[in-house]
Amino acid sequence: MLGMLMRGYGVSLQIFFVTLLGALPLGVILALGRLSRFKPLSGLVALYISVMRGTPLMLQMFAVFFAPFYIFGIRTGSGYMYTAVMISFVLNYAAYFAEIYRSGIQSMPRGQYEAAEVLGYSAPQTFFHVILPQVVKRILPAMGNEVVTLVKDTSLAFSIGLAEMFTQSRALVASQRSMVPFALAALIYWVTCLVIEFLLRRAERRLSYYHD
Amino acid sequence: MTNRSRISIPRPDQSFASFAGLPAVYVHGATKSFGDRQVLRGIDLIINKGEVVSIIGPSGAGKSTLLRCLTLLDRFDGGTLAYGDVVVAKPASDGSGIEYDRESIPQARMRFGIVFQDYNLFPHRTVLQNVTDAPIIVQHRDRAKTEVEGRELLGRLGLAEHADKVPCQLSGGQQQRVAIARALAMHPKVIYFDEATSALDPRLTAQMHDLVRELARGGMAVGIVTHEMGFARDVSDRVAFLFDGEIAEEGTPEEVLGNPSDPRTRAFLARAED
Repeated sequence: MLGMLMRGYGVSLQIFFVTLLGALPLGVILALGRLSRFKPLSGLVALYISVMRGTPLMLQMFAVFFAPFYIFGIRTGSGYMYTAVMISFVLNYAAYFAEIYRSGIQSMPRGQYEAAEVLGYSAPQTFFHVILPQVVKRILPAMGNEVVTLVKDTSLAFSIGLAEMFTQSRALVASQRSMVPFALAALIYWVTCLVIEFLLRRAERRLSYYHD
Repeated sequence: MTNRSRISIPRPDQSFASFAGLPAVYVHGATKSFGDRQVLRGIDLIINKGEVVSIIGPSGAGKSTLLRCLTLLDRFDGGTLAYGDVVVAKPASDGSGIEYDRESIPQARMRFGIVFQDYNLFPHRTVLQNVTDAPIIVQHRDRAKTEVEGRELLGRLGLAEHADKVPCQLSGGQQQRVAIARALAMHPKVIYFDEATSALDPRLTAQMHDLVRELARGGMAVGIVTHEMGFARDVSDRVAFLFDGEIAEEGTPEEVLGNPSDPRTRAFLARAED
């Protein structure tokens, strides 16, 4: 039983890490697009963020899953299920991260930009040396919330039939007529979140060497 | 425009055998409007090497706008601006407005530094990094040499033992000196102070006076924007009194503050003494 759960947990962790790996940088790009002075771009990104945050992730997952066939007539193999989950998770979480980045970037005082400008920093230098490091500290608590939510959201992949941990636990509950698999899965989710919270607290402590 | 004391202004767009005689800061006929409101109405100002010039005046006179335009954080919409032989902006060739030279702007930025009123230090960087970051990142100077120089600079400003702290661990006066070190590390020819002494007690103000004079002795051109008459009088070689977007009066501190000829200066000083 534990073996099945752990195999499922492996899949859940894969969804988790691939989503972070894709959505963290994609969120930066979206946030910069959202803050662009080029109106069509910022408008388009705003619309994207609004749709991604305003529709269910489960629906997005199915849309990505079925789109190749219904829109383009492409027959996808069974492996595409996994890809579809990753794509929809990355696209969805990038929208949430982008909003957090945006609020963090906008909370930076003008004076920081002006100091950098007068010292001759280019726009990318200002962003990477002055703004981004400070934004990371400011948004860490909000990012923590999202990341913890992501751990639990991986269970949404159940609905598409991906054998992640919740899918496995449900199958076990049905076959063994016992609640124990649910309890174990819950425990594993919870411990995962505890580990993440611990890591986040450590990161916050490491960044507490200064305050502004 | 009528009461301005005239000074002979060398034109940087004429050819000079040597640039040594050019003023460090040259502003001629500079104007700036926000919408319908004209904030600067033809400013003429020069600051020479080794000279301390204070720009004083009531709030709303245009001091901040002038300083923002001088430091290229904002743009004049008419006139000429040059740092030594680097002509940043001159009247447009078709006679309408002003033309900023894209290529001169980065060069000009390397010629001046500014100590902001609230310092705008980088809070996430140590004191030393605040001083060495820009030379390393922007000027691509050697890291090791820059750090040696940075520590030396901090030592001269009495901050040696604070080099590895972060700004929030320092007092306001110390933070201001970090901001000065950060500006000086770029080897500017001009340094501007925005309200140099507004946050300082009398002892620190005296220190600031000595520091500014020392910088000027070393050949630095110093521009100070302030509304504190006492400091301006003591530290400046020349004082320009800005009123309603015009330099109403300009001269030595004794002339402008001791025996003002412009009625607006007189009125302002009378009020300032209350």
